[in-house]
Amino acid sequence: MLSFVSRRLATGVGLIATLAVLTFFFLQFGVSDVAQRIAGQQAGPDAVAVVEERIGVDRPVQVQFADWAGSALTGDLGRSWFSGQEVTEAVMSRMAVTVSLAVGSVVLTALLGITLGALAATRRGWSDRGVQFLAVLGQAIPGFLMAMALVLVFAINLDWFPATGYTRPSESVPGWLLSITLPVVALTIGSIGGVAQQVRGSMIDAFERDYVRTLRSRGLPRRSVVLQHVLRNAAGPALTVLGLQFVILLGGAVIVETLFSIPGLGPLALTSTSQGDIPVVMGIVIVTGVVVVLVNTLVDVVQAWVNPKVRLS
Amino acid sequence: MLRHTKLAAAAGMATLALAACSSSGADDAASPAAGGSEGTAIEGRAPELRIGAVVDISTWVAADAAWGNEATYYMAVYDSLLRTSATNEVQPGLAEAWEYNDDLTELTLDIRDGVTFTDGTPLDAQVVVDNLNRFREGASPDRGLLDAVTDVAAADDDTVVITLSAPDPALEINLSMQAGLIASPSTFDAPDAQTTPVGTGPYELDAASSTIGATYTFTANEDYWAPEDQHFDSITINYYADASALLNALRDGQVDISNLNSLTQIPDAEAAGYTTNSIPVNWKGLILADRWGANNEALADVKVRQAINYAIDREGLLQGLESGYGEPTTQIFNVEGDAYEAELEDAYPYDPEKAKALLAEAGYPDGIHITMPQTSFVPASEPELIKGVLAESNIFIDYEQAGESFFGDLLGGAWSAFAFGLNQEPLAWQTYNQAIAPGAAWNVYHQADETVEALAARIRLGGEDGAAAAKELNEYVVDQAWFAPFYRVIGAIVTADGFAITMKSGQAVSNLWDITATA
Amino acid sequence: MTTTRSSATRAGARKGRPGLLRRLLRHPLGGVSMVVLAVVVLVGALGPFIAPFDPTETSLQTIFAEPGGDHLLGGDSAGRDILSRLLVATAFSLAGGLLVMAIAVAVGVSAGLVAGYYGGVIDATGAWFTALTMSLPSIIVLIAARSVMGPSMWWTMAIFGLFISPVYYRVVYTSVRAVRNELYVDAARTSGLGDVRIIGRHVLLAVRAPVILLMAGVIAAGIGMQAGFDFLGLGDPTTPTWGQMLNEGFYNINRSSNLVLWPALALGITTVALTLLGTALRDELEGTTDKRHSAAQPWVLEEDVPAVMDHGDEPAGEALLTVRDLAVAYPAGTGYATVVKGGRLSVRRGETHGLIGESGSGKTQTAFSILGLLPKGGKVMAGSIVFDGEELVGRTDAQLNALRGSRIAYVPQEPMSNLDPSFTVGHQLTEPLVKVLGMKKAEARERALSLLARVGIPEPQRAFDSYPHQLSGGMAQRVLIAGAVASHPDLLIADEPTTALDVTVQAEVLDLLRDIQEELGMAVLIVTHNFGVVADICDRVTVMQKGVMVETGATRAVFESPRHEYTRALFAAIPQGAPRAPLPGVSSAGSLGAGALR
Repeated sequence: MLSFVSRRLATGVGLIATLAVLTFFFLQFGVSDVAQRIAGQQAGPDAVAVVEERIGVDRPVQVQFADWAGSALTGDLGRSWFSGQEVTEAVMSRMAVTVSLAVGSVVLTALLGITLGALAATRRGWSDRGVQFLAVLGQAIPGFLMAMALVLVFAINLDWFPATGYTRPSESVPGWLLSITLPVVALTIGSIGGVAQQVRGSMIDAFERDYVRTLRSRGLPRRSVVLQHVLRNAAGPALTVLGLQFVILLGGAVIVETLFSIPGLGPLALTSTSQGDIPVVMGIVIVTGVVVVLVNTLVDVVQAWVNPKVRLS
Repeated sequence: MLRHTKLAAAAGMATLALAACSSSGADDAASPAAGGSEGTAIEGRAPELRIGAVVDISTWVAADAAWGNEATYYMAVYDSLLRTSATNEVQPGLAEAWEYNDDLTELTLDIRDGVTFTDGTPLDAQVVVDNLNRFREGASPDRGLLDAVTDVAAADDDTVVITLSAPDPALEINLSMQAGLIASPSTFDAPDAQTTPVGTGPYELDAASSTIGATYTFTANEDYWAPEDQHFDSITINYYADASALLNALRDGQVDISNLNSLTQIPDAEAAGYTTNSIPVNWKGLILADRWGANNEALADVKVRQAINYAIDREGLLQGLESGYGEPTTQIFNVEGDAYEAELEDAYPYDPEKAKALLAEAGYPDGIHITMPQTSFVPASEPELIKGVLAESNIFIDYEQAGESFFGDLLGGAWSAFAFGLNQEPLAWQTYNQAIAPGAAWNVYHQADETVEALAARIRLGGEDGAAAAKELNEYVVDQAWFAPFYRVIGAIVTADGFAITMKSGQAVSNLWDITATA
Repeated sequence: MTTTRSSATRAGARKGRPGLLRRLLRHPLGGVSMVVLAVVVLVGALGPFIAPFDPTETSLQTIFAEPGGDHLLGGDSAGRDILSRLLVATAFSLAGGLLVMAIAVAVGVSAGLVAGYYGGVIDATGAWFTALTMSLPSIIVLIAARSVMGPSMWWTMAIFGLFISPVYYRVVYTSVRAVRNELYVDAARTSGLGDVRIIGRHVLLAVRAPVILLMAGVIAAGIGMQAGFDFLGLGDPTTPTWGQMLNEGFYNINRSSNLVLWPALALGITTVALTLLGTALRDELEGTTDKRHSAAQPWVLEEDVPAVMDHGDEPAGEALLTVRDLAVAYPAGTGYATVVKGGRLSVRRGETHGLIGESGSGKTQTAFSILGLLPKGGKVMAGSIVFDGEELVGRTDAQLNALRGSRIAYVPQEPMSNLDPSFTVGHQLTEPLVKVLGMKKAEARERALSLLARVGIPEPQRAFDSYPHQLSGGMAQRVLIAGAVASHPDLLIADEPTTALDVTVQAEVLDLLRDIQEELGMAVLIVTHNFGVVADICDRVTVMQKGVMVETGATRAVFESPRHEYTRALFAAIPQGAPRAPLPGVSSAGSLGAGALR
């Protein structure tokens, strides 16, 4: 197991390194006048040269990268070219917010998706169609429309939740829960469908398995076979889908966070990429990459726990 | 020529009273002696002010500061050497008094005693000198504000002398804005200076409960030298990157006071129970930059430029683009300044036939083509509307999509004409330096004109002749059609019940101390 | 066994199989979504030509104009005609979605084909690229790309297509890997076809279905992403799209809700229709459709079933199990396929009875009918099954549950697939003991261990703690027998209990069955196609052909003097050193697919 995890993590490190190189060199195409933008519209060439030297873009690209990578390895991702904030601090504090949204959303997705999927698979018939239709509807409506609709109804008309903003859990836990509810729901609605469909499919698949018949032949009631054996065997594929959803949710958070004015990675990604703030963009890419690799490894580990064949080999 | 105003004198006295009071060691709150003016006791402070902002602060380094919408952030933690009232009257700030020499080339500032920065560092003349010099060498987009300054020196512990190469009528106003911000010397070389400000201002940034780029929380500076200007225990500035998010925040009453992305949000804000406070801030229109015909020959002809002015349906555009929140105009100078002339408001009435006739006279019977930039900063409908209006007079706009280097390209003269909004500065001299002078940023082809230069020399020296010259300059620029203004847009700030604001002429945001709680 | 149901439906569908398009139209969701999409596409294609106004033509007079008159849907914030903008935006939005799909298909499919077919470095690169795109939210890349390349809808959509292409890559890659080593590809290669032609002719055919399947979803994702991007103001402001219209609409929602309503409707309806179409496509292509069978004709037994040739040597006394005139049918096409059509069979207490026949003769279906565990869709249409004096046909599942596991038990054919891979052997053995027989946990555990020892497993504790995949086939079958007999049933139904095992193990398992049968005195119904098995342990035997029980009698009697022509043919076909001849009159599966009726 340990070697399995370390192997996965090693692959992840390679992946992140590739990601870093590609992103860094790709971003070079967009930085032609970044110094001008930092110095301001009206700054003359001398002022721009000063800025160029300060942020180091006057050096060859490969030197810049080596420099960046060297500090990154020691955990120092540099400072934002624009705000001067330490990238590690900026990205970490915001990543915590985004991850809490994504985790909340994955949990909700798992609960609802699995329940709905199981319902559809066991009941079939009209309830199956109903569940499928609702799932499809949620999947089809773009997240930002959903977000706007949720805000109009639940924040502005009913006034149950704040329309925008984020309360830190350290300030007030109920406030925090209220502030993330709508964004999490907006994120979740889109992903329930996929998971429900997947669970439904895997369960229908599992239903037709021979061992289900054999267990039933021993007198076990259908319900208990479904709850234990069918669900357990459908869990593997569902987990994979949930892992994929997590990455999609991280992306979806960009839009949702901007609309809800939540200080997560999303707005930071928006501003830093459009400014050409390379240290921040790199920080976001690296930290996102790390989180994704960790989540994928976690999914694999849980997968192995669910599936003894993987665990014991 | 000591320029204490009455107000300034009163403020100075209030400060003296306070100083006496705190030296006696008594608690500020308990001191009735400080009375006489409003809001002297802490009990008078409201608990919290939540400000909605449409612009994030780009840096906390005072020497690199910009102004405009960012001013609120700086006014919270920093003081400037001088202040300007809501009507742009210059008042004492960290300098209690100031005085020019006779030929207006030396300004002597008397620095306030007993002021300390929030890190405990005392304020003295040398700190002021260092700050001014750092601004002159800093990365502020507006460091040109101190271009006329040749030397800054500390005459003694609390006296600073600024030497100018030539008189600068705008210097006092500039020292009341970003050029006059004073930061603690401890931040000068600090690595976190961009994110951690230390000033003498009314509030301190609470970094722990702030998120850079999203929310900034400030708490009252309990040692502030002018507690009557602190109306709140704490201030939160929420930056809304997205217009929909700001609208939702307004609809849900999540801010007490806010400026807006667009005037079209006013009905929404009012529907949500906010009161609109407005004042003319910018003029918006076309800058006909290529007056020598470097890129577009047609624009070199004054008849063509005038034709463009006649082709503009100002009233229609005001309704269409700003929902009528503004006033049509053809001049670029501030209504309250010396240069303003009421007759010039309608120098070019909307007349497509006259525009076509002028074009024909200039040798363009079939009309002209002008290439202009289009950005994603404004809704696509805006350039389309402008294009539609001009097309009626055979003036055809071809839009070019501007990239990320938009400003650099724009100021580098990539486009011979473009639509833009510029601040209406309080002084004619400022407007001249902003958009007319050969070196002005918004004179993007940097053209010099003898008539203009002669007038500028007179404006520089001020007085009645300066005011007359300003009027002449305005007339000349309108007649020559260097610009094609559409209208003056109002700057609007909405306030929730229980909050009031006094708007500041020509500024996107008001003075922070002009925002009060009324409940 | 796992394919029983789906192959039955698939086989049914194949009969007079209408084209995919017609099937989709008939699908309840597919039909509606196809019609909606057709309208949207038509609007998109014609939109730019039928738009009453230039979509970018502004007018100060029609700003926020009310709907009606010249401007059917009113004017927007710049006085542009909303209808015209909507029409043109439809074209651009669809084009964006199609571009995403085109790029994703072009890149994903070709890379998947090449990587799957050749493997090696290309394969590794593909996997790497896939992992890369999966570890970074695409929107971050899109924003970065925008800052590099400017706000161009086409670039944005193309990059998004590239990012989504692994979806295709993986599907195609997997299919190609599966097909690659299949016989017909080898055959094609040996017959001298070049790689390109093999890929084109054989491999592409195999991936066609999954590629079509994903299209609708990918287009919907593209349109959704574009709208979100535009809504954030990151799009190209000069291209009218739904997202662009929504962006401006929400900006002015208080002045005119018209601006939001129409693009939101267009966007919502299109993406919903696309997603539903995707679902319908999957139903039709993968046969997962859950059509409630609405047979046009009621079930009837079309043919006359001849009476069973009974050797009449049945011992006296009451039968434990009697199956009479049983008919089992599955829905197929507009009617039914009848897989068991009658005959008679009775099993006495303590008797071992063989049910023999070719693959597809309906013997397993008969066994499942007795258990009440017919695969999905299967139904007992007529006849009776009497167990110990009680009629089983028509009983509810709960009533049957009272018999299953306590009085009737079952040993399946394929040992490995009949054990749940996720649970230990011990768990699977004790669970019924606790839940059905009401034992205490410890008691159940003890019983399970002793049963494991009884069925000849050398280290019961170790087997108890093992997962199924750690056991050999023979061991697994012993475990299944242990599980079946745990409750001392009166009747054990063993479905080809030795077929899947090695020859050496077969004899051992048969011995075990016989021993236990003698020990417990239970009746055993062995389903088999192997006369050796029958000869070895059966007292009596019933022969089945094409769903009909044709002959029944004592084993010895039937072996010595087979009466039915089919029984004789079966004997003749027993291999005696030479390959057997095809059986006369046996087209194993009848109207159903091969393997459907084992």
